[in-house]
Amino acid sequence: MAKSYLRFWGVRGSYASPFPTHLQVGGNTSCVEINVDDHIVICDAGTGIIPLGNKLAAQTSNKDVLIILTHYHWDHICGLPFFVPAFISDWNINFFGPGESIQEIKQNLDSQMQAPYFPVGTETWMANINYIEPRDTEITRGPIGITYYGVHHPGITYGYKIKILDKTIIYVSDNECQFLDKSIKQQMTEFSEEEQEMFEAMNREEYEYELQTIRGADILIHDAQYTPEDYETKRGWGHSCYVDVVNYAIDAEVKELYLYHHDPYNDDDAIDEIYKKSQEIIQKRDASLKCYIAREGMEIELD
Amino acid sequence: MSDSKQIVVVVDDNATVRKLFERSTENLALDLITYDSAKASMEYLNENKPDLLFLDIIMPEKDGLTFLQELRKLPLHKDTSVIMITSKDYAQDRTVANELGALEFITKPMPMSAITDIILKYINQDNPY
Repeated sequence: MAKSYLRFWGVRGSYASPFPTHLQVGGNTSCVEINVDDHIVICDAGTGIIPLGNKLAAQTSNKDVLIILTHYHWDHICGLPFFVPAFISDWNINFFGPGESIQEIKQNLDSQMQAPYFPVGTETWMANINYIEPRDTEITRGPIGITYYGVHHPGITYGYKIKILDKTIIYVSDNECQFLDKSIKQQMTEFSEEEQEMFEAMNREEYEYELQTIRGADILIHDAQYTPEDYETKRGWGHSCYVDVVNYAIDAEVKELYLYHHDPYNDDDAIDEIYKKSQEIIQKRDASLKCYIAREGMEIELD
Repeated sequence: MSDSKQIVVVVDDNATVRKLFERSTENLALDLITYDSAKASMEYLNENKPDLLFLDIIMPEKDGLTFLQELRKLPLHKDTSVIMITSKDYAQDRTVANELGALEFITKPMPMSAITDIILKYINQDNPY
């Protein structure tokens, strides 16, 4: 049996940041490889998929991959034009992502490889390319079962629940946690007593739904782009403050949290600080959550 | 004739939102029908065109924007009056909703008066029967 693992190939949000001050965490944008007995699922196709593609093209044991996309913002698809297996004829590449139809998914991928933005189109891909029908509620690849749900981010954006063997991995690259909670708190004084009670109930219900989507996950990979100071000015941009994410993971009794989609403004020192403060929150709440910084090249055994 | 009342449909997975709409429309002469998911509303919407349809964006199974895209393909709902209701207030979502012909985009938490006002803006209550 081949080994089963999850590997981070790109952990940045927004844009690639290959700066000397950033390389302990990594500069490539979103891409995670999940490999279970040579069944390969790739979460997002940011620049991290480029080195992954080079590795895959150099081996011959498996030439079939499933790429699941959370959405089509550049930092999640900009590695695809340089994904070498797409240009090799005996590869099978399967895509899934938000969209009402196969044509819409295809169109969303085609459009970044068109003039004047790129010199060659997806018609130059020599691999067998398949798009998975969005109406399928569960996607399976060997022992891997994948379901999806909508998250808080501009445009239709998915979070993925990936079940492997006896583990559940939740991949949420972009999501603004507790958005409604903050909206209600900002406006609370403007509401009548009855409305205040209803909005508090609405908020509890919404948070319970959010918790339900990640409850008990073995591994949660979640957007933690902002510090509280960043969030003051970037509320409504579709990303989470790490403080909210750590509390969210504790409330949902997640076992391991990987803070992900790091802001390119934050260098290694800034992200080390986020790590330390996250540990303080966990300690203060006397929680059992294990929290890590997702780093490029980090590998988690899934066996 | 109560069967000629104008019909407002709300599709939102949040029970409190549905209750908020019920409270906000108590004194309006209309029929309010609520569903907790796109799927649950389909049996009704396959056969009926409401006078006003409110759709939440983030819902389990199918989001409101994808659902609206599907509805627009049905001749019955080509021009159904739709208003998006969401806590997810992003410009990109407003653009997509606008492209799909949504009339407005309202964000949670919305006071009851705002719900009543927006319904009255699109439902003629001078002659509801």
